[in-house]
Amino acid sequence: MERRDFIKTLLLSGLAVKFTPEIFSQTTLPELSVAEGDSPAVITKEALKALGGMKRFVGRGDKVLIKPNIGWDRTPEMAACTNPEVVKALVEMAFEAGAKEVIVMDHTINQPKRCYIRSGIQNAAKEAGAKVLFAEEQRLKKVALKGEWLKEWEVFQDFLEVDKIINAPVAKVHSLSKVTLGMKNWLGAIGGSRNQLHQKIDQAMVDLAAFFKPTLTVLDGYRILFRNGPQGGRTSDTKLMKTVVAGTDPVAVDAYGATFFDYKPQELLFLKLAQDRGLGKFELEKVKIEKRKV
Amino acid sequence: MKREKSKKYFWLQKLRVLSQIIFFSLFFILFLKTHYAGEDYLQTTVERYFHFDPFLALTTIIASRMVLAALWLSGITLLVTLLFGRFVCGWVCPLGALHQFFSFLFKKTRWLRPEKDDRMSLGPKYFILIIVLIAAVFTVNLAGYLDPLSFLYRSFAVYVSPVLNQIFSQSGSLAYSAGLKSVGQGLGQTLENLAFNSVFQNALLIGLLFLAALLLNAWKERFWCRYLCPTGALLGLFSRFNLFKLKIDPDKCINCHLCSIQCETNARPYPIDEWRSSECVYCETCAAICPTAAISFPWRWQAEKIKGVDLSRRKVLLTSLTALLVAPIFKITSHRKRAYPALIRPPGALPEEKFLAKCVKCGECMKVCPTNGLQPALTEAGPEGIWTPVLVPRIGYCEYYCSLCSQVCPTGAIRELTIEEKTKVKIGTAWINKNRCLPYALGKPCIVCEEHCPVSPKAIQLVRVETLTPEGKVVSNLAPFVNVDACIGCGICENKCVVVDEPAIRVSSIGEHRSEKNRLTLQVIGENEPQ
Repeated sequence: MERRDFIKTLLLSGLAVKFTPEIFSQTTLPELSVAEGDSPAVITKEALKALGGMKRFVGRGDKVLIKPNIGWDRTPEMAACTNPEVVKALVEMAFEAGAKEVIVMDHTINQPKRCYIRSGIQNAAKEAGAKVLFAEEQRLKKVALKGEWLKEWEVFQDFLEVDKIINAPVAKVHSLSKVTLGMKNWLGAIGGSRNQLHQKIDQAMVDLAAFFKPTLTVLDGYRILFRNGPQGGRTSDTKLMKTVVAGTDPVAVDAYGATFFDYKPQELLFLKLAQDRGLGKFELEKVKIEKRKV
Repeated sequence: MKREKSKKYFWLQKLRVLSQIIFFSLFFILFLKTHYAGEDYLQTTVERYFHFDPFLALTTIIASRMVLAALWLSGITLLVTLLFGRFVCGWVCPLGALHQFFSFLFKKTRWLRPEKDDRMSLGPKYFILIIVLIAAVFTVNLAGYLDPLSFLYRSFAVYVSPVLNQIFSQSGSLAYSAGLKSVGQGLGQTLENLAFNSVFQNALLIGLLFLAALLLNAWKERFWCRYLCPTGALLGLFSRFNLFKLKIDPDKCINCHLCSIQCETNARPYPIDEWRSSECVYCETCAAICPTAAISFPWRWQAEKIKGVDLSRRKVLLTSLTALLVAPIFKITSHRKRAYPALIRPPGALPEEKFLAKCVKCGECMKVCPTNGLQPALTEAGPEGIWTPVLVPRIGYCEYYCSLCSQVCPTGAIRELTIEEKTKVKIGTAWINKNRCLPYALGKPCIVCEEHCPVSPKAIQLVRVETLTPEGKVVSNLAPFVNVDACIGCGICENKCVVVDEPAIRVSSIGEHRSEKNRLTLQVIGENEPQ
């Protein structure tokens, strides 16, 4: 490139940044958006809008994988799985942004088909045009996670074959990690004897989060499970928060989610480990947050 | 004389084969449908075939002294047989169809060469029938072992289903490794949808018996139907009028014996006075292969006599005496004295004595179980309970919102439950082995059983425990504690326990609702009535 061309480009791009609408300018966009309202679908879309729209994350022709929590054979009122309307809104937005294919899948704990159906996610995601797949044992592949504790583990190849991953967890309590939000959700992307990870759960969550690196994390806090986690069983174990948190920083999303349960982010070991690892920030004061009500 | 085979019976024979194909396919479709298809309640009566089986109905009613409404359908089978003979065996029975198919194959390969004037006694099946019925009087239900539908379904559930599972998954991974991702995915997703259970304890025995039954067709055509089938025997005794009667035109008959040699069930159409109407399954073979079209089955009112089987009073008496000695053997077991810890019955199972009297070991519940947890018992239930269903939590747990096993049981050995009722039925109790449980024994964190407990509030609660390590350090962890009254014994804790070989939490049958004796905590009368 000629020096003159280079200077020209530099000047032009500088002007472009100055005068283009907000959407193209990275610097002014929030890292975290929080939307509150009565409809799970509407607040999901609003949260994304506040972040600059799905186009910021999904490009034309992208293969996108959305990873909700479909772990349990529970209805949406039990708040054990991600709200189906949240998942559906994400699928719709991904297609609107130009995605070629959207896959929705999770490695469930109860019988997969039951979880997919009772959670309402299979139906909702299919309606929006997503490919809803059961996790297949034979698609597991041992890969180098290069984590601090987990050096290698079996991962579903579907996660490795897509262009973008969107993590769509639900906010729940958990007896060991205290809460299960975005980072804990990665236990559903792997196989092997994942129950053994509980012996060092915080480290495992961080190692997995560092490996999967989602483009976007959308935390469903519409209805949260504050008791009897992580599967509940009664509606009285749940609480309506009517909130969706979205962000590019997985640590900040989880830190915000922790506040639903009155935990200070610094009380949670996995958040500290994740920040030390450079995955994001849990000190919410340092995060640019945009809150909206619809 | 002009030699010409009968066209009419040629087509009737083809029609019979078609009927067998249809009924076998129907059986297989119902077999495939016996799984969680996305709704809590099955939309099809997948166990329908069993309701038409008079042998199962009779034995179960006698053994349990209880009647199940659906079993009256078997009256239709009896009525048809009374009027027309053993049509059901030849045209409807899916196991008969399978045996016929294998006999056909063995004939084509010349491994099976039917003999002229085969005199081997067809009696054993009648004696099996007598033994089973007399045992039923002593409340021992042995019907399931040799009943054709139970035998076939059990073999399919325990042996064919895992084979199908392997075919799907092997070809799926082949497709993946060949780069055919969409094919692999199609196979993998279909497998998940059809839910073929993949592992069964003592499948080897059940599978080998099934193969043996098929291989016996290389020795005698339709070996099972001729010599073993107690249902066939019962129908044989009920075949009275045989309204379509064998007729051989003496002018056309060239005494070639072909009809008797090729008779599927050795009913000996030739010579005509030796025809055993109670053995004839109306397969139409004799009439179709007769080189001179001498054989026909015209309609005629007249009762037939049971012939050709030596059911002399002496033999019947001797068999009955044998049964009197055999039946009690099944009851001589310590299982009658005390509950057995590994005997975890499906939710809705009747109290053990009634359950044993009703269960026909058909394997419907094992096929439908979504976690593969229901397994054929070998020693868990005593000699009477061989191949009855037991929950083996290490293989699969009882899915919380599932009552499918109770919906498919053909004889009501497992009482039909709604999902609502099912979640409250206690089938056992979980026990922690502190010597193996991580927080207790090793001082390591683990709450896996607690997080999987489906009951709310959880039956597994957490308590803080301290463990002294060899370094002299005291480590503190949350550890599981079972609330025995809340625990329903579903076994998901045992199934998911990280100590996989001998789980640190195990379910035993104590506390099961169906038993009054196998109880742990005393119920105050009038309060907390058991479900």
